[in-house]
Amino acid sequence: MKKLVLSITLAISSVAVFAQKEKFEAIMTEQAAAIQANYEGSYMPMANKMERIAGAEAKEWTPQYWSAYCLINETFKLKEAGEKDLLLEKAAVFIEKAEMLSPNNDEIEVLKAQYAMAKLSVDPMSRWQKYGADFQTALKRAEEINPENPRVPYVMGTNIFYTPEGFGGGQAKAKPYFEKALAKFSTFKSATAYAPNWGKDASNYFLSQIK
Amino acid sequence: MKKLFTFLITILTILSTQAQTVVSGKITDKKGEILPFANIALEGTYDGASADENGKFSFSTDEKGIKKLLVTMVGFLNAQKEIQLNGQKVEVEIKLEETINSLNAVVVTAGMFEASDEKKMVMLKPLDIVTTAGGNADIVSVMQLLPGSNRVGEREGLFVRGGSANETKTVIDGMIVQNPFFSSTPDVPQRGRFDPFMFKGTAFSTGGYSALYGQALSSVLLLNTQDKLGENTSTTASLNLASAAVTHTHKGWLTGTLYYSNITPLIKLVKNNYDFEKVPEGVGASVSVNENFKNNSSLKIYGTFADNRSAINLPNYDVENTKYLFANTNKNAFTNASYRQSYKDGLWVLNSGVSYSKNMDNLKIGNIKADREDERTQLRAVMSRLYGNNRSSTFNFGAETHWINVSNQFEQNLATLKDHYSAIFAESEMFASPQLAIRLGARAEYSSAIGKYNAVPRISMAYKTGKYSQVSLAGGRFYQNPDKEYLYLNKNLGFESSDHIIANYQIMKLGRTFRTEVFYKKYENLVVEKGQAFDPNPYRFPTGQTDNSGNGFAQGFDMFFRDQKSLKNGDVWVTYSFLDTERYFRNYPKSVMPYFASKHNMSVVYKQFFTKIATNVGLTFSHASGRPVYGINEDFGKVEMTKPYQNVSFMASKIKQTANSFLVFYAIVDNVLGRNNVFGYRYSVDGSKRYEVNPPMKRMIFFGVSWTFGKLNGRSKEADLNF
Repeated sequence: MKKLVLSITLAISSVAVFAQKEKFEAIMTEQAAAIQANYEGSYMPMANKMERIAGAEAKEWTPQYWSAYCLINETFKLKEAGEKDLLLEKAAVFIEKAEMLSPNNDEIEVLKAQYAMAKLSVDPMSRWQKYGADFQTALKRAEEINPENPRVPYVMGTNIFYTPEGFGGGQAKAKPYFEKALAKFSTFKSATAYAPNWGKDASNYFLSQIK
Repeated sequence: MKKLFTFLITILTILSTQAQTVVSGKITDKKGEILPFANIALEGTYDGASADENGKFSFSTDEKGIKKLLVTMVGFLNAQKEIQLNGQKVEVEIKLEETINSLNAVVVTAGMFEASDEKKMVMLKPLDIVTTAGGNADIVSVMQLLPGSNRVGEREGLFVRGGSANETKTVIDGMIVQNPFFSSTPDVPQRGRFDPFMFKGTAFSTGGYSALYGQALSSVLLLNTQDKLGENTSTTASLNLASAAVTHTHKGWLTGTLYYSNITPLIKLVKNNYDFEKVPEGVGASVSVNENFKNNSSLKIYGTFADNRSAINLPNYDVENTKYLFANTNKNAFTNASYRQSYKDGLWVLNSGVSYSKNMDNLKIGNIKADREDERTQLRAVMSRLYGNNRSSTFNFGAETHWINVSNQFEQNLATLKDHYSAIFAESEMFASPQLAIRLGARAEYSSAIGKYNAVPRISMAYKTGKYSQVSLAGGRFYQNPDKEYLYLNKNLGFESSDHIIANYQIMKLGRTFRTEVFYKKYENLVVEKGQAFDPNPYRFPTGQTDNSGNGFAQGFDMFFRDQKSLKNGDVWVTYSFLDTERYFRNYPKSVMPYFASKHNMSVVYKQFFTKIATNVGLTFSHASGRPVYGINEDFGKVEMTKPYQNVSFMASKIKQTANSFLVFYAIVDNVLGRNNVFGYRYSVDGSKRYEVNPPMKRMIFFGVSWTFGKLNGRSKEADLNF
């Protein structure tokens, strides 16, 4: 009898763990897909949902990653500098937590580069020095950790795409980066269904814009 | 087994659906205003919702029992509420408290002009220091274009609101800089020793400054060095009419610079009235280390050494049409190391530093040998504790101590001065709300040279009057040791003192800024020399009896307007200051307007960036009304004024960037219109003849190029305009 009780208890708890993991994966897959397909709408409802998951899943880096990703991308839709900085301040906290949970992660380094670019775009003239350096450093680290990450050349490409020609940027110079990104995307497989997998469509889009 | 799982899951699901609880409610701020898009979460679960545009939310959950509802929203403090989940509908109303953050918090601005990239309510960006015509990429020259400072063309230094240049201290990372300028030559103003690109932030106080600083009756110029930027390696070479320099940065943490200066090309090209026996020539080197460590600490070390030589024939006012030789061999060393460590997740921050500087001027004045020497060693530590809403409030306390040795040898006469100066200070900046900040500080000092103590209060506050506007007040008492020339002769003198009160209003909206300030400053205990006829020579050595019976005042207002919006890629600022000041000090027989003061100072700065050709063009006009002229044996009855000072200056810089190199060309024309500015007069010994003091170059032309190569951090600012 004792054995039976024990095994039932074990079974139920393992079911609970199993169910929790399954629930996590299902909802993350769904949310990550929604986030990566979002171009027009606000990222805030998704950011909120990811933040809730991040709060419940203290050991997973991906919800922290996506929370920061949403906040960073939301800033590109905002106008006021002060509001952008507040969102980015919150994003920085998620990035820091993600890094603690998963050190030496190339995707988090790419996200740090995105963060630096968002900080920089608030006031490019005067923030270039600090965040330009942070951007380069983060991408360099990402490439060192995983030379096959297609988002490294993609993010580099977008930066060059938007930099004026007088400052060493321009569409023509960005082109090889998007081509390199696409070559890497063709062999890239994300670790899980909800790990970062963005940038391929956008690379194609940017290439189509370059004459 | 799998079937069992499925079965159990189904059971669990059925059980849970039966016990679902609907949670709904409304999120508002403390005043009851609706807050849309807050995030509501049930702690430890995925359950929750985003509030809609009316601040309302609703969700259902399978959880049971007592659970915490967490509410988060950007710009507000997190809130939580315990709720009972038992299948019965739960209705909650949660009020969120605003955080005090960079977007909404008021800033104490009275008496402070800051150039910063990160801070809010600042008037300038660090880049302005190198892109402003008339500023010549020299920090102090740019500050002279700001309201509150008086244009004094024949000497280096900042003359702030009726104060002399000695009343302004330059501070790098908390440490007083003994020799911020290249060694003084009579009536030839010198540049600052420090490259503006070394600093991430510059704050120029026009009074009422913090208790963290002392020994300045009028103003402090606070310079904060750059943090480590990236890990790239690059080299910059620059060449202009007066110098050549090479800077190499290794992996972002180690930077070394070597330079050679010689103004021969400049004086060959530009008409001037210099009469050099030996054209100024100098060599210098500097090294800086900048590293961040894993344990939330960072270390900065900066060391520089310079050797400058020059010999110039200056007019001898005593005998007409004769000259005397003024030769100087200067050696200067400055080192500064600062260490920063934060504890408990940034709750406590320690800033500590050590600095040593030594300056030696070996002078030859006519046939007389003279040496000036000074040496300063200082230690400083400041502990900060953050507290309150969003850690917006700070409590700082700390101490500093300096050992200072100065000496002056003139022929056989040797004057020396030793001082051990120490200070302790504490200051708290409290935010009562995002709208109201109060800063209270106190400082106590002891100087061994005069054997006296002092203790002073400092207070400032700021109140936000609207989304974009605020008022700020600052006041306090400030002490300073008498100038060394007086202390050499009389060590019984006491501290000189001043009291400041400043009120400020500023509004910053969508790329336009307006700021105005009124001030009153009262001087007391100024050193006075007695029992002699008046001699206006500012370079004379005092000889009379001295005491602390002097006094004075300065009052006035200033205005600053900047528009970065109306012209595309254009930027215009206009400043005006009004100053009414009199003082009884030095060898003045009575209270009058000092020779370095001018009533009206104004400047108009215009900058335009042409994106297509990556060129920045700037034009600056500055005007200062006449300064009083006091002749030899003057009775100070009717005061003569010099003619107003006016200057139009122009600068242009062009950037050319490729993937791995960055080129900047720049050119400056100072006093484009060639106006003959007169800064004052020097007198023959009997007072019968006087001579104008003019700038050595009527119209100056200067140009150069700087080339950076190696791994670049995008649009490198270092190379932008490196003079």
